[in-house]
Amino acid sequence: MGVLDAGLCNYVLVSYGENSVSSRRPDKYNGHLLDDNAPVFGQFGAVSRYAMAARRAMHEFHTGPDTWKDIAIDQRKWANLNPEAQMYDRSLTEDDYYVGNWVVEPFRLYDCCLLSDGGRAYIVTSVERARDLKHPPAVIMGLGQHYPACDINQSTYMAGPTGAKIAGEIAFEMAGIAVDDVDACQIYDCFTYAVEITMQDYGFFGPGEGKDWFSGGTIGPGGRQPVNTSGGQLSEAYFMGMTPLTEGVMQLMGRCGDRQLGPKTQTKEPEIILCSDNGGALQSHMATILRRL
Amino acid sequence: MATEKPLPQVNPDTQPFWDGCKEHELRFQKCLDCGHVRWPPSMICPECHASQTEWITARGKGAVYTYAVYHRAFHPAFKDDLPYVTAVVELEEGLHLLTNIIGCNPDSVRCDMPVEVAWEDVTDAFSLPKFRPSS
Repeated sequence: MGVLDAGLCNYVLVSYGENSVSSRRPDKYNGHLLDDNAPVFGQFGAVSRYAMAARRAMHEFHTGPDTWKDIAIDQRKWANLNPEAQMYDRSLTEDDYYVGNWVVEPFRLYDCCLLSDGGRAYIVTSVERARDLKHPPAVIMGLGQHYPACDINQSTYMAGPTGAKIAGEIAFEMAGIAVDDVDACQIYDCFTYAVEITMQDYGFFGPGEGKDWFSGGTIGPGGRQPVNTSGGQLSEAYFMGMTPLTEGVMQLMGRCGDRQLGPKTQTKEPEIILCSDNGGALQSHMATILRRL
Repeated sequence: MATEKPLPQVNPDTQPFWDGCKEHELRFQKCLDCGHVRWPPSMICPECHASQTEWITARGKGAVYTYAVYHRAFHPAFKDDLPYVTAVVELEEGLHLLTNIIGCNPDSVRCDMPVEVAWEDVTDAFSLPKFRPSS
Protein backbone atom coordinates (compact mmCIF):
# COMPACT_ATOMS: atom_id res chain seq x y z
CA MET A 1 0.00 0.00 0.00
CA GLY A 2 3.00 2.25 0.60
CA VAL A 3 4.13 2.08 -3.01
CA LEU A 4 0.60 2.88 -4.16
CA ASP A 5 0.36 5.86 -1.82
CA ALA A 6 3.75 7.10 -2.96
CA GLY A 7 2.63 6.97 -6.58
CA LEU A 8 5.37 4.53 -7.54
CA CYS A 9 2.87 2.20 -9.17
CA ASN A 10 -0.84 1.84 -9.80
CA TYR A 11 -1.48 -1.84 -9.28
CA VAL A 12 0.35 -4.39 -7.13
CA LEU A 13 0.00 -8.07 -7.95
CA VAL A 14 0.53 -10.37 -4.97
CA SER A 15 0.87 -14.00 -6.01
CA TYR A 16 1.71 -17.29 -4.40
CA GLY A 17 2.20 -20.76 -5.79
CA GLU A 18 3.40 -24.08 -4.53
CA ASN A 19 3.66 -27.74 -5.55
CA SER A 20 3.83 -29.46 -2.20
CA VAL A 21 1.90 -32.53 -3.44
CA SER A 22 3.95 -33.25 -6.53
CA SER A 23 7.25 -32.35 -4.84
CA ARG A 24 6.35 -34.29 -1.67
CA ARG A 25 7.59 -31.34 0.35
CA PRO A 26 7.07 -32.78 3.83
CA ASP A 27 9.57 -35.56 3.14
CA LYS A 28 12.27 -32.97 2.68
CA TYR A 29 12.03 -32.00 6.32
CA ASN A 30 13.62 -35.33 7.13
CA GLY A 31 16.91 -34.32 5.61
CA HIS A 32 16.72 -30.58 6.03
CA LEU A 33 16.82 -29.75 9.69
CA LEU A 34 14.73 -26.72 10.57
CA ASP A 35 16.10 -26.64 14.08
CA ASP A 36 19.31 -27.93 15.64
CA ASN A 37 17.55 -30.12 18.14
CA ALA A 38 13.99 -30.85 17.06
CA PRO A 39 14.69 -33.86 14.76
CA VAL A 40 17.08 -35.28 17.36
CA PHE A 41 14.05 -35.81 19.57
CA GLY A 42 11.83 -36.94 16.70
CA GLN A 43 10.02 -33.64 16.28
CA PHE A 44 9.30 -32.99 12.60
CA GLY A 45 7.21 -30.43 10.78
CA ALA A 46 4.60 -27.99 11.96
CA VAL A 47 2.13 -30.60 13.19
CA SER A 48 4.01 -31.46 16.37
CA ARG A 49 4.51 -27.82 17.28
CA TYR A 50 0.83 -27.01 16.90
CA ALA A 51 -0.11 -30.31 18.57
CA MET A 52 1.95 -29.33 21.61
CA ALA A 53 0.28 -25.91 21.67
CA ALA A 54 -3.12 -27.59 21.45
CA ARG A 55 -2.21 -29.98 24.27
CA ARG A 56 -1.25 -27.07 26.52
CA ALA A 57 -4.59 -25.44 25.70
CA MET A 58 -6.39 -28.67 26.67
CA HIS A 59 -4.61 -28.38 30.01
CA GLU A 60 -5.27 -24.67 30.57
CA PHE A 61 -8.89 -24.47 29.43
CA HIS A 62 -11.65 -26.76 28.29
CA THR A 63 -10.88 -27.74 24.72
CA GLY A 64 -9.94 -30.76 22.67
CA PRO A 65 -11.24 -32.99 19.87
CA ASP A 66 -14.88 -32.38 20.92
CA THR A 67 -14.36 -28.72 20.01
CA TRP A 68 -12.16 -29.27 16.96
CA LYS A 69 -14.46 -31.80 15.30
CA ASP A 70 -17.07 -29.10 14.70
CA ILE A 71 -14.47 -26.93 12.97
CA ALA A 72 -13.36 -29.77 10.69
CA ILE A 73 -16.92 -30.88 9.87
CA ASP A 74 -18.40 -27.42 9.22
CA GLN A 75 -15.49 -26.39 7.02
CA ARG A 76 -15.97 -29.60 5.04
CA LYS A 77 -19.60 -28.59 4.46
CA TRP A 78 -18.37 -25.38 2.87
CA ALA A 79 -15.91 -27.35 0.72
CA ASN A 80 -18.79 -29.53 -0.46
CA LEU A 81 -20.26 -26.35 -2.02
CA ASN A 82 -16.96 -25.40 -3.70
CA PRO A 83 -16.05 -27.30 -6.90
CA GLU A 84 -12.48 -25.94 -6.63
CA ALA A 85 -11.97 -27.58 -3.24
CA GLN A 86 -9.86 -30.71 -2.99
CA MET A 87 -12.50 -32.24 -0.69
CA TYR A 88 -15.49 -31.05 -2.78
CA ASP A 89 -16.96 -34.52 -3.26
CA ARG A 90 -16.03 -36.01 0.12
CA SER A 91 -18.30 -35.62 3.11
CA LEU A 92 -17.04 -35.69 6.68
CA THR A 93 -19.14 -36.98 9.57
CA GLU A 94 -18.49 -36.99 13.29
CA ASP A 95 -17.77 -40.73 13.07
CA ASP A 96 -15.29 -40.14 10.25
CA TYR A 97 -13.53 -37.53 12.40
CA TYR A 98 -13.12 -39.80 15.40
CA VAL A 99 -12.01 -42.87 13.42
CA GLY A 100 -9.40 -40.74 11.66
CA ASN A 101 -5.95 -41.95 12.66
CA TRP A 102 -3.84 -40.01 15.10
CA VAL A 103 -1.18 -38.08 13.23
CA VAL A 104 0.47 -36.43 16.19
CA GLU A 105 -1.83 -36.75 19.20
CA PRO A 106 -3.95 -34.77 20.09
CA PHE A 107 -4.42 -34.19 16.33
CA ARG A 108 -6.20 -36.72 14.19
CA LEU A 109 -6.08 -36.79 10.40
CA TYR A 110 -8.94 -34.30 9.96
CA ASP A 111 -7.38 -31.77 12.31
CA CYS A 112 -4.62 -31.29 9.75
CA CYS A 113 -4.66 -29.13 6.63
CA LEU A 114 -4.17 -30.35 3.09
CA LEU A 115 -1.15 -30.22 0.85
CA SER A 116 -1.84 -28.62 -2.48
CA ASP A 117 -0.48 -27.92 -5.93
CA GLY A 118 -1.66 -24.54 -7.14
CA GLY A 119 -1.71 -20.90 -6.22
CA ARG A 120 -3.60 -17.74 -5.47
CA ALA A 121 -3.24 -14.11 -6.46
CA TYR A 122 -4.81 -10.77 -5.75
CA ILE A 123 -4.33 -7.21 -6.92
CA VAL A 124 -4.09 -4.19 -4.65
CA THR A 125 -4.90 -0.74 -5.98
CA SER A 126 -6.46 2.51 -4.80
CA VAL A 127 -10.18 2.62 -4.06
CA GLU A 128 -10.44 5.33 -6.70
CA ARG A 129 -9.05 3.05 -9.43
CA ALA A 130 -10.92 0.04 -8.12
CA ARG A 131 -14.26 1.78 -8.62
CA ASP A 132 -13.73 1.66 -12.38
CA LEU A 133 -12.80 -2.02 -12.56
CA LYS A 134 -14.96 -4.80 -13.94
CA HIS A 135 -15.78 -6.37 -10.57
CA PRO A 136 -16.79 -4.62 -7.34
CA PRO A 137 -13.71 -4.58 -5.09
CA ALA A 138 -13.12 -5.41 -1.45
CA VAL A 139 -11.74 -2.52 0.60
CA ILE A 140 -9.10 -2.88 3.31
CA MET A 141 -10.63 -1.43 6.48
CA GLY A 142 -8.04 -2.44 9.00
CA LEU A 143 -4.71 -4.21 9.33
CA GLY A 144 -2.90 -5.44 12.40
CA GLN A 145 0.29 -7.38 12.94
CA HIS A 146 1.92 -8.79 16.03
CA TYR A 147 5.01 -10.90 16.53
CA PRO A 148 5.42 -12.79 19.79
CA ALA A 149 8.51 -14.07 17.94
CA CYS A 150 9.65 -16.57 20.55
CA ASP A 151 10.05 -20.12 19.21
CA ILE A 152 6.96 -22.13 20.07
CA ASN A 153 9.02 -24.64 22.05
CA GLN A 154 10.16 -21.84 24.37
CA SER A 155 6.88 -19.98 24.43
CA THR A 156 4.36 -19.53 27.21
CA TYR A 157 1.56 -18.33 24.92
CA MET A 158 0.66 -21.67 23.32
CA ALA A 159 -2.79 -21.49 24.86
CA GLY A 160 -3.09 -17.75 24.17
CA PRO A 161 -2.98 -14.92 24.05
CA THR A 162 -1.17 -15.48 20.76
CA GLY A 163 -0.25 -12.71 18.33
CA ALA A 164 -3.90 -12.70 17.24
CA LYS A 165 -4.93 -10.73 20.33
CA ILE A 166 -2.86 -7.60 19.72
CA ALA A 167 -3.00 -7.90 15.91
CA GLY A 168 -6.78 -8.12 16.15
CA GLU A 169 -7.01 -5.12 18.49
CA ILE A 170 -4.91 -3.02 16.10
CA ALA A 171 -7.00 -4.05 13.08
CA PHE A 172 -10.33 -3.44 14.86
CA GLU A 173 -9.16 -0.03 16.03
CA MET A 174 -8.05 0.95 12.54
CA ALA A 175 -11.36 -0.24 11.09
CA GLY A 176 -13.37 1.46 13.83
CA ILE A 177 -15.51 -1.62 14.39
CA ALA A 178 -16.01 -4.28 17.05
CA VAL A 179 -16.01 -8.04 16.83
CA ASP A 180 -19.83 -8.08 16.70
CA ASP A 181 -19.73 -6.16 13.42
CA VAL A 182 -17.95 -9.01 11.61
CA ASP A 183 -20.22 -10.94 9.23
CA ALA A 184 -17.83 -13.79 8.41
CA CYS A 185 -14.25 -14.86 9.05
CA GLN A 186 -11.54 -16.47 6.96
CA ILE A 187 -9.10 -17.83 9.52
CA TYR A 188 -5.66 -19.36 8.90
CA ASP A 189 -6.41 -23.01 9.65
CA CYS A 190 -3.28 -25.10 9.29
CA PHE A 191 -4.80 -27.16 12.12
CA THR A 192 -8.26 -27.01 13.70
CA TYR A 193 -6.85 -25.63 16.94
CA ALA A 194 -5.49 -22.61 15.05
CA VAL A 195 -9.07 -21.60 14.24
CA GLU A 196 -10.15 -21.91 17.87
CA ILE A 197 -7.25 -20.03 19.44
CA THR A 198 -7.33 -17.28 16.79
CA MET A 199 -11.05 -16.60 17.22
CA GLN A 200 -10.71 -16.84 21.00
CA ASP A 201 -7.91 -14.27 20.95
CA TYR A 202 -9.92 -12.00 18.62
CA GLY A 203 -12.64 -12.02 21.29
CA PHE A 204 -15.45 -14.03 19.67
CA PHE A 205 -15.62 -16.11 22.87
CA GLY A 206 -13.76 -16.54 26.13
CA PRO A 207 -11.11 -19.15 26.92
CA GLY A 208 -12.71 -22.57 26.88
CA GLU A 209 -16.07 -21.32 25.55
CA GLY A 210 -15.20 -22.54 22.07
CA LYS A 211 -16.81 -25.94 22.56
CA ASP A 212 -20.26 -24.39 23.01
CA TRP A 213 -19.61 -21.60 20.53
CA PHE A 214 -18.66 -23.90 17.64
CA SER A 215 -21.35 -26.51 18.36
CA GLY A 216 -24.56 -26.62 16.38
CA GLY A 217 -23.16 -25.47 13.06
CA THR A 218 -22.16 -21.92 14.06
CA ILE A 219 -19.48 -21.60 11.38
CA GLY A 220 -20.97 -23.79 8.62
CA PRO A 221 -23.47 -23.04 5.83
CA GLY A 222 -26.55 -21.53 7.46
CA GLY A 223 -24.55 -20.66 10.57
CA ARG A 224 -24.60 -17.32 12.38
CA GLN A 225 -20.82 -16.71 12.03
CA PRO A 226 -19.54 -18.39 8.85
CA VAL A 227 -15.85 -19.31 8.91
CA ASN A 228 -13.58 -20.51 6.10
CA THR A 229 -16.29 -20.53 3.48
CA SER A 230 -14.15 -22.11 0.76
CA GLY A 231 -13.45 -25.11 2.98
CA GLY A 232 -10.26 -23.41 4.14
CA GLN A 233 -6.88 -25.03 4.33
CA LEU A 234 -8.46 -28.04 6.01
CA SER A 235 -10.78 -28.85 3.11
CA GLU A 236 -10.18 -26.57 0.12
CA ALA A 237 -6.44 -26.07 -0.42
CA TYR A 238 -3.38 -24.85 1.45
CA PHE A 239 -1.82 -21.70 0.02
CA MET A 240 -0.51 -20.08 3.17
CA GLY A 241 -2.40 -16.93 4.19
CA MET A 242 -3.64 -16.55 0.63
CA THR A 243 -6.32 -19.22 1.16
CA PRO A 244 -8.21 -17.17 3.75
CA LEU A 245 -7.48 -13.72 2.30
CA THR A 246 -8.55 -14.47 -1.28
CA GLU A 247 -11.74 -16.14 -0.06
CA GLY A 248 -12.59 -13.05 1.97
CA VAL A 249 -12.12 -10.89 -1.11
CA MET A 250 -14.09 -13.23 -3.39
CA GLN A 251 -17.01 -13.37 -0.96
CA LEU A 252 -17.24 -9.57 -0.79
CA MET A 253 -17.03 -9.42 -4.59
CA GLY A 254 -19.92 -11.86 -4.76
CA ARG A 255 -18.01 -14.36 -6.89
CA CYS A 256 -18.40 -17.54 -4.80
CA GLY A 257 -21.10 -19.48 -6.65
CA ASP A 258 -22.95 -22.07 -4.55
CA ARG A 259 -21.02 -21.13 -1.40
CA GLN A 260 -21.80 -17.43 -1.71
CA LEU A 261 -22.68 -15.87 1.62
CA GLY A 262 -26.18 -14.44 1.68
CA PRO A 263 -29.56 -15.97 0.81
CA LYS A 264 -27.97 -18.80 -1.19
CA THR A 265 -26.37 -20.28 1.96
CA GLN A 266 -28.90 -18.96 4.49
CA THR A 267 -26.31 -16.63 5.94
CA LYS A 268 -26.04 -12.88 6.41
CA GLU A 269 -25.15 -10.87 3.33
CA PRO A 270 -21.50 -9.99 4.06
CA GLU A 271 -20.46 -6.38 4.53
CA ILE A 272 -17.38 -7.00 6.68
CA ILE A 273 -15.06 -10.04 6.65
CA LEU A 274 -12.13 -10.65 9.00
CA CYS A 275 -9.16 -12.62 7.63
CA SER A 276 -6.15 -13.96 9.50
CA ASP A 277 -2.70 -15.30 8.76
CA ASN A 278 -0.12 -17.01 10.97
CA GLY A 279 3.61 -17.38 10.53
CA GLY A 280 5.78 -20.08 12.06
CA ALA A 281 3.89 -21.95 14.75
CA LEU A 282 1.91 -19.05 16.26
CA GLN A 283 5.03 -16.86 16.10
CA SER A 284 3.58 -14.09 13.99
CA HIS A 285 0.07 -12.96 13.21
CA MET A 286 -1.67 -10.76 10.65
CA ALA A 287 -5.29 -9.63 10.87
CA THR A 288 -6.98 -8.05 7.86
CA ILE A 289 -10.48 -6.59 7.95
CA LEU A 290 -12.18 -6.18 4.57
CA ARG A 291 -15.47 -4.54 3.66
CA ARG A 292 -17.65 -4.32 0.63
CA LEU A 293 -17.33 -1.02 -1.24
CA MET B 1 26.10 -47.45 19.61
CA ALA B 2 25.46 -46.55 15.99
CA THR B 3 22.25 -44.67 15.31
CA GLU B 4 20.42 -43.68 12.17
CA LYS B 5 18.57 -40.95 13.94
CA PRO B 6 19.54 -37.34 13.35
CA LEU B 7 22.31 -36.14 15.65
CA PRO B 8 22.60 -32.66 17.12
CA GLN B 9 23.97 -29.95 14.83
CA VAL B 10 26.50 -28.30 17.09
CA ASN B 11 27.55 -24.69 16.60
CA PRO B 12 29.84 -22.47 18.69
CA ASP B 13 26.82 -21.24 20.71
CA THR B 14 25.59 -24.72 21.59
CA GLN B 15 28.98 -26.44 22.00
CA PRO B 16 29.10 -25.94 25.80
CA PHE B 17 25.60 -27.43 26.14
CA TRP B 18 26.47 -30.58 24.17
CA ASP B 19 29.85 -30.86 25.92
CA GLY B 20 27.91 -30.83 29.19
CA CYS B 21 25.52 -33.50 27.97
CA LYS B 22 28.47 -35.76 27.29
CA GLU B 23 29.30 -35.39 31.01
CA HIS B 24 25.62 -35.94 31.85
CA GLU B 25 25.26 -32.33 32.92
CA LEU B 26 22.64 -29.83 31.73
CA ARG B 27 24.52 -26.58 31.21
CA PHE B 28 22.76 -23.32 30.42
CA GLN B 29 23.63 -19.66 30.20
CA LYS B 30 22.64 -17.45 33.12
CA CYS B 31 22.57 -13.67 32.77
CA LEU B 32 24.92 -12.06 35.30
CA ASP B 33 22.79 -8.91 35.25
CA CYS B 34 19.22 -10.13 35.77
CA GLY B 35 19.76 -13.81 36.58
CA HIS B 36 17.57 -15.10 33.73
CA VAL B 37 18.54 -18.64 32.68
CA ARG B 38 18.12 -19.03 28.94
CA TRP B 39 17.81 -21.56 26.15
CA PRO B 40 18.77 -21.63 23.33
CA PRO B 41 22.16 -19.98 23.87
CA SER B 42 22.57 -16.41 22.70
CA MET B 43 25.09 -13.58 22.90
CA ILE B 44 22.81 -11.32 24.90
CA CYS B 45 20.06 -11.92 27.42
CA PRO B 46 16.61 -11.93 25.76
CA GLU B 47 15.13 -10.43 28.96
CA CYS B 48 17.48 -7.52 29.69
CA HIS B 49 19.93 -7.45 26.74
CA ALA B 50 23.00 -7.68 28.98
CA SER B 51 25.91 -9.64 27.56
CA GLN B 52 27.69 -10.81 30.73
CA THR B 53 26.94 -14.49 31.11
CA GLU B 54 27.96 -17.51 33.15
CA TRP B 55 27.25 -21.17 32.45
CA ILE B 56 25.39 -22.99 35.21
CA THR B 57 24.50 -26.64 35.66
CA ALA B 58 20.78 -27.27 36.02
CA ARG B 59 19.48 -29.77 38.56
CA GLY B 60 17.73 -31.81 35.88
CA LYS B 61 14.31 -31.60 37.49
CA GLY B 62 11.18 -30.01 36.17
CA ALA B 63 7.66 -30.60 34.91
CA VAL B 64 6.07 -31.39 31.57
CA TYR B 65 4.88 -28.06 30.12
CA THR B 66 3.29 -29.73 27.13
CA TYR B 67 3.69 -32.81 24.97
CA ALA B 68 2.58 -34.58 21.81
CA VAL B 69 2.44 -38.27 20.97
CA TYR B 70 3.75 -39.41 17.59
CA HIS B 71 1.72 -42.25 16.11
CA ARG B 72 3.39 -42.07 12.69
CA ALA B 73 7.08 -42.08 11.89
CA PHE B 74 8.02 -38.93 9.99
CA HIS B 75 11.55 -40.39 9.79
CA PRO B 76 12.20 -44.14 9.32
CA ALA B 77 14.62 -44.33 12.27
CA PHE B 78 11.78 -43.50 14.66
CA LYS B 79 9.44 -46.26 13.46
CA ASP B 80 10.38 -48.73 16.17
CA ASP B 81 9.78 -46.09 18.85
CA LEU B 82 6.10 -45.54 18.01
CA PRO B 83 4.18 -44.31 19.86
CA TYR B 84 6.70 -41.88 21.32
CA VAL B 85 6.36 -38.63 23.22
CA THR B 86 7.93 -35.30 22.30
CA ALA B 87 7.63 -32.77 25.09
CA VAL B 88 8.62 -29.36 26.33
CA VAL B 89 9.88 -29.64 29.88
CA GLU B 90 9.96 -26.58 32.13
CA LEU B 91 13.04 -26.97 34.27
CA GLU B 92 13.16 -25.68 37.84
CA GLU B 93 15.58 -23.02 36.58
CA GLY B 94 12.71 -21.65 34.45
CA LEU B 95 13.70 -22.50 30.90
CA HIS B 96 11.80 -24.66 28.42
CA LEU B 97 13.63 -27.58 26.80
CA LEU B 98 12.44 -29.75 23.91
CA THR B 99 12.93 -33.42 24.77
CA ASN B 100 11.28 -36.86 24.95
CA ILE B 101 9.43 -38.38 27.88
CA ILE B 102 10.57 -41.98 28.33
CA GLY B 103 10.18 -44.71 30.91
CA CYS B 104 6.39 -44.61 31.02
CA ASN B 105 3.34 -45.35 28.92
CA PRO B 106 2.62 -42.37 26.60
CA ASP B 107 -0.99 -42.45 27.84
CA SER B 108 0.19 -41.66 31.37
CA VAL B 109 1.98 -38.41 30.44
CA ARG B 110 0.25 -35.25 31.70
CA CYS B 111 1.00 -31.55 31.63
CA ASP B 112 2.64 -30.40 34.87
CA MET B 113 3.78 -33.98 35.63
CA PRO B 114 7.10 -33.90 37.59
CA VAL B 115 10.00 -35.32 35.59
CA GLU B 116 13.76 -35.75 35.93
CA VAL B 117 16.52 -36.05 33.38
CA ALA B 118 17.37 -39.54 32.03
CA TRP B 119 20.50 -39.59 29.90
CA GLU B 120 20.58 -41.52 26.67
CA ASP B 121 24.07 -42.15 25.30
CA VAL B 122 23.36 -42.36 21.57
CA THR B 123 26.94 -42.28 20.24
CA ASP B 124 30.41 -41.92 21.72
CA ALA B 125 30.13 -38.21 21.04
CA PHE B 126 26.55 -37.47 22.04
CA SER B 127 24.30 -38.01 25.03
CA LEU B 128 20.73 -36.76 24.84
CA PRO B 129 18.86 -35.30 27.81
CA LYS B 130 15.56 -37.14 27.93
CA PHE B 131 13.13 -37.08 30.85
CA ARG B 132 11.20 -39.69 32.85
CA PRO B 133 8.62 -39.42 35.61
CA SER B 134 10.28 -38.33 38.87
CA SER B 135 11.12 -41.17 41.19
